[in-house]
Amino acid sequence: MGSGVNTATWSLAPVRREGAWRAVFVALATLPLLGLLVFVAWPLALIVLRSITGDDHAWTFARYAALLGSPRILQAGWHSLAMGATVTAISVSAGFAVAFALHRSRLPGKAVMRFALLLPILSPSLVQALGIIFLLGRAGLVHQVTGWNFDLYGFWGLVFANACYGLPQVVLIVSSSLAGTDRRYYDGAEVLGASRWRQFLDITLPQCRYALVAAAFVVFTVTVTDFGNAIVIGGRYRVLATEIYAAVAGQLDFGLGAAIGTVLLLPAVLSIAVERMVARRSGRVADGAMVVQAPRNIARDVGLGLVAFVALAPILATTAIVVYASFARLWPYKLGVTLANYHVNLADGFAPIVTSLQVSLLAALVGTALLFSLALAQRRMSGPLAAVSSFLALLPAAVPGLVLGIGYLVAFNDGPLSGWLYGSIAILVACNFYHYHAQGYLAMVAGLRNVPAALEEVAQCLGAGTARRIGEVVLPYAAPTLASVFFFLFMRSMVTLSGVVFLVTPALNLAAVAVMQLDMNGSVSQAAAYATCVMVVTGLAVAAMRLAAARASKMVKRSRHVA
Amino acid sequence: MGIRGTITGIFFLCLLAPATLRAQTLTVYSALEEDEIAAYLEGAHKALPDLTINVMRLSTGDLAARLLAESAAPRNDVVWGQAVSSLLDPRLAGLLAPLSSPRIDAMPARYRDATWYAPTGYVTAFCVNTEALASRHLPMPRTWQDLAKPVYRGEVVMPDAASSGVGFMQVSAITQLMGERGWALLGKIGENVAQYTPSGSSPCKLARTGEYAIGVSLAFVALQSIDAGYPVTMVVPSDNVGYELEGSAIMKASKNKAAATRFLDYLASPDAARIYARFKTIVTVPGSKPDARQVQMGLPPDLDARLAPVDFRMAARERSAIIARFKTLEDH
Repeated sequence: MGSGVNTATWSLAPVRREGAWRAVFVALATLPLLGLLVFVAWPLALIVLRSITGDDHAWTFARYAALLGSPRILQAGWHSLAMGATVTAISVSAGFAVAFALHRSRLPGKAVMRFALLLPILSPSLVQALGIIFLLGRAGLVHQVTGWNFDLYGFWGLVFANACYGLPQVVLIVSSSLAGTDRRYYDGAEVLGASRWRQFLDITLPQCRYALVAAAFVVFTVTVTDFGNAIVIGGRYRVLATEIYAAVAGQLDFGLGAAIGTVLLLPAVLSIAVERMVARRSGRVADGAMVVQAPRNIARDVGLGLVAFVALAPILATTAIVVYASFARLWPYKLGVTLANYHVNLADGFAPIVTSLQVSLLAALVGTALLFSLALAQRRMSGPLAAVSSFLALLPAAVPGLVLGIGYLVAFNDGPLSGWLYGSIAILVACNFYHYHAQGYLAMVAGLRNVPAALEEVAQCLGAGTARRIGEVVLPYAAPTLASVFFFLFMRSMVTLSGVVFLVTPALNLAAVAVMQLDMNGSVSQAAAYATCVMVVTGLAVAAMRLAAARASKMVKRSRHVA
Repeated sequence: MGIRGTITGIFFLCLLAPATLRAQTLTVYSALEEDEIAAYLEGAHKALPDLTINVMRLSTGDLAARLLAESAAPRNDVVWGQAVSSLLDPRLAGLLAPLSSPRIDAMPARYRDATWYAPTGYVTAFCVNTEALASRHLPMPRTWQDLAKPVYRGEVVMPDAASSGVGFMQVSAITQLMGERGWALLGKIGENVAQYTPSGSSPCKLARTGEYAIGVSLAFVALQSIDAGYPVTMVVPSDNVGYELEGSAIMKASKNKAAATRFLDYLASPDAARIYARFKTIVTVPGSKPDARQVQMGLPPDLDARLAPVDFRMAARERSAIIARFKTLEDH
């Protein structure tokens, strides 16, 4: 983040090295920036252009005038804002509490908490909404057991669905900050006699300020652009994202859809500006942070435990009920157990899961590498380049998947890159990675704040080569962040739907699209069964990779000891 | 096969693609259901063993959006089973090639045009959940007029004409035939509507699981739900039966028009019609009628005569005006 932080570093370096440094950072920045230009800026520019091009190919702002004059659109806009604000408030406060419980409490069962947090990230979009209906619908399990009548469909149902999805993303971003706060701050405060509450206000919160703002940005934009939940749970509560769907798929009015999509970018652009401001004002994490050990405090643990339970139990329940429904003969009427739903009526059977695995591995590998070099290069960037690159890095969060998918189709169906991209795995990889670029980027930036600048400078003065410097100084500090970004991208790629639904071809189908096809085909139970398979495969893949990574790092440590 | 193997494989496939395409491979976009596609393809494979047919299934709206987005360089040879009211949209109609074959030309004129023909179609039906109806002590609705009665407040789910082709079909059938009275009726029904859904089959899916008592939807989803064992009764409203045709066409940009024509000609054959009977409520291939099982589940035996005489071209022309007016009902 950069501006003004590292200019001093350069003057410390021997003059003849400066050119080499610069070249390395230019090289680091080039690929990620090029990717952002081709896969974010270009498709979005085409979309914005579409919104101001009339049917007669002349420029026009008539669509925007019509939007502003339409009470329906204004109401949907207000609904989107109210929804975004409510979900952000709930997700950020609950997510912060859960992250705090994970890093600063002596609560038992953290593994269960981590598991629950994974579920919304690795469950196919459609299925999460289905689970909520199975659980809380007018004929849902809660109604059946308690006889309680309440109407799920509408504002609060949608808040619930979106908050379930927002919460783990808050925890992901905030955790990297909490983990990087130095214990010595607290030791010092303790010696000076500051109360625990004072320590929380004066150390913990300021240290997390950047992460909290970043998390709020992510939750707000993701909520405002979501249309999967809005369509299934929203009922008659209309938001802008559903208006885009009606314009594009219902009325084939791409111009109108593009105009609403462009309006949706506005709050995001504002929040990006806020993010930049906070990023500049936030201090860096202390050098050589020592991990904080939570002191014994029963009251704190009980409180956090309650909050974590209230926040995470619904997530566990909605996923559990989908798995349960996948074994039911006829949900919700015949609940006897059967495996019949696992014989899916799909021409290509379970092959889409294999394709999804390949796409997701590539998206996660390429994505993590690009995000890492971007975040690293940005430590040296300043001025307009820094602003533009972080703007582009954050922008995808504000783009509904539907708009991104159509943008890719319009940009890459014909033109110079179409031969390479259209119908290839590459375009699916790109779409999935850039769809979640902002989340990965924010986690990466928050995580790299932990890399001590002083250590880097020492390495530089001692004349360590850049490659070695990255390998030996930055990587050990960044490794946990790299891993969490990698797994986040991997899991989201496995299950995200809205963008890629426009990019799959007859020869190349994905697991999330297969789930949707099964549901459209009339079999909710088969969709649930397929989704369960996707979740299990994704979970196993993540577990296997984590195990391999742990083993590899052990071996590296051992070989270092020998040396 | 590792990732590298896959990438190399795909790279070579891309190189080979133009050559293999010429060897009788058809790329087909379809809005039909997955299970019926499988059955029709099995039949097509027997009749046309030299053709390889790759089908991608999308919902009607997504398919139309995809065709439009790809219109600068279309990727498919055939559109198969897409709502005719969507194919009549001038931006899509302009992408289609003239169509002619012995069997297609023999179809009744009502079911074909210069660029498309429709061997099948679907009709409006209410999915009524009998358990939900009984527990709320409600009478069985038989007509659209019934749906406007205040007893059904909050128990009716309907597709949204602004985003669902099925919803548009229902609204245009009612307003074309009843004019202003039709709009007044839709307004009154609107007071009972709990949700307007973006897809035409969702109302039935919500009704069959008991979320709501009545889903205004399609006959084939109702039949499917009864088959699956849900406590659902299918009601084909006696006062207005909106219907839609599923049109098939060849893309102007297709390089395989001869093979595509053979495929579409097969789909107009009596052989194909026999398979349609397993899935379809409207089969336009001459001599087709609803089968005994469908009639037993509630499909009128004289369905053909009861279809609302909808003018599809007029509906397509007035689409945006109809949708704009429908939206004012929804906002109510």
